[in-house]
Amino acid sequence: MKIKSALKPLLLVFLLSGISLMLVSPAFPFLAQYTKPVSAGGAPQRDHWDFTAFAVTWSLNPSAGSNVQGDRTVADVMQASFNTWLLAPNAVVVVSRAADSSATAAGFDQRSSSNINLVCFVCSGDFSKDSSTLAVTMTTVSDAVGEATGHGGSSRFVGQILDADILFNPAVTFSTGGSSPGQDLQTVATHEIGHFFGLDHSGIVRAVMFPFAPPSQQALAYDDVAGLASLYPKPVPDVHTGSLTGTVRFSSGGAVFGAHVLAESTTGAQAFAGSIRKTPIGTLSFPDGTYRLDGLPPDAYIVIAEPLDQPITNSDVSGYGPAFSQASVATGFTTRWH
Amino acid sequence: MKTALQLPRYLLWITIAASCSATTVIPVSVESLTETSSEIIEARALTSWPQWNPEHTIIFTYTRFEVMRTLKGPSMPEIVVKQMGGSADGYTQKVAGVRQWQAGEQSVLFLRSSDAADGSLVVTGLMQGNFRMSRAPDGEVVVSNGISGVIAYDRASKKISRYQGSRMTLGDLEQRVMKAERP
Repeated sequence: MKIKSALKPLLLVFLLSGISLMLVSPAFPFLAQYTKPVSAGGAPQRDHWDFTAFAVTWSLNPSAGSNVQGDRTVADVMQASFNTWLLAPNAVVVVSRAADSSATAAGFDQRSSSNINLVCFVCSGDFSKDSSTLAVTMTTVSDAVGEATGHGGSSRFVGQILDADILFNPAVTFSTGGSSPGQDLQTVATHEIGHFFGLDHSGIVRAVMFPFAPPSQQALAYDDVAGLASLYPKPVPDVHTGSLTGTVRFSSGGAVFGAHVLAESTTGAQAFAGSIRKTPIGTLSFPDGTYRLDGLPPDAYIVIAEPLDQPITNSDVSGYGPAFSQASVATGFTTRWH
Repeated sequence: MKTALQLPRYLLWITIAASCSATTVIPVSVESLTETSSEIIEARALTSWPQWNPEHTIIFTYTRFEVMRTLKGPSMPEIVVKQMGGSADGYTQKVAGVRQWQAGEQSVLFLRSSDAADGSLVVTGLMQGNFRMSRAPDGEVVVSNGISGVIAYDRASKKISRYQGSRMTLGDLEQRVMKAERP
């Protein structure tokens, strides 16, 4: 919606009248990656595995160069990193380690029935030319029902993840622990495994899925847990959570698509046991202006809606608009919070 | 409810570019991008198409650009840039943060030859060498590579801070490239 001035205050009416705290139900958090069906008119679907379709495993190529140093093996680090997600509260993910592999090429072969999810430290490519790129995760999803899964069956839904390969840059120095120099491998691996499960980058700076790696951040944040649990909800959750819903509208009544909406606790309450770190939880609004923040433990929150204008722009979430057949997220409003 | 005075500081820590970078990256400067790129151009996207690799295991997306200005490298009217990911034959492959261009979109591109030695060009730094061009409210053309426009982690200082290399005017970017080329 076009407005007269991007900076004019009070153009946005941020409606929270629809806020309610309810049990978790299927929703569309900002954190997930979306796939638009190849057929016209279909709604975008969140990427995730179907753990009942075929056994989801990961295979390690145990080879590693001198760029990986430390007092733990890469296998130990990868297992610990997977365990971080496997043990996340409120979520059920079923992934195990398969036999090691000597493969050095990532990818997905639809003609094969034995694709593996490769974890590789010696795979190179265009990404490994730059030491600024620590690692990449390449996922293959189905655009349509009935596509070959690469495991002898057919895909069951749009957005079904069929393959995910994690490649660590051989040009980067990693530390597996101890006093070895380099980027903490478990920190990077935990982030990449979030992509393995279908999570996109988070806008929450302290989340594991925040795209820039700190020196060491191996424990999940509330934002990470909310994202994973929304994709793979545990039938009986460890901690009951709820959702905040509402609508972001311009004062003219028009819906705001793509507003960045965040819920931040105003208390010191800790809902999850263990090392889960308390952070805000975020999402983007839908074409009709509605938003839904899932995975919120019972607490008091402020809710913030802000535009993805500079320095964050529509281009930074370029997949979001097309997934909903929208040209761009709306930015012509000012930040509001309640 | 937070006060207005509290809000900006609050937002400094939570207003982060989502899906803005390639998987896990460390920000690199314009000067470093200039040094490691064989070609730097201002270009407009014309058309894109997906294509499997010869092994039929990886989908790449190729985008043809009209070159509007060459800042480094040989001058050519059009170039083709290759990126990981894309959609073909009922499948989509994704690398988090790698985004495709839409027709008409304008960018300053830092490029180098693909490791595949197939004659194609790739963006330096995966996506850090892609500075998208847009017009600010005051009419000035600005560029941003979408990499931590607000916050970045600095390994040297071990602090999270503002990343200065992301958004700037087109003129400033051109000057930094020229200076890096001929210091």
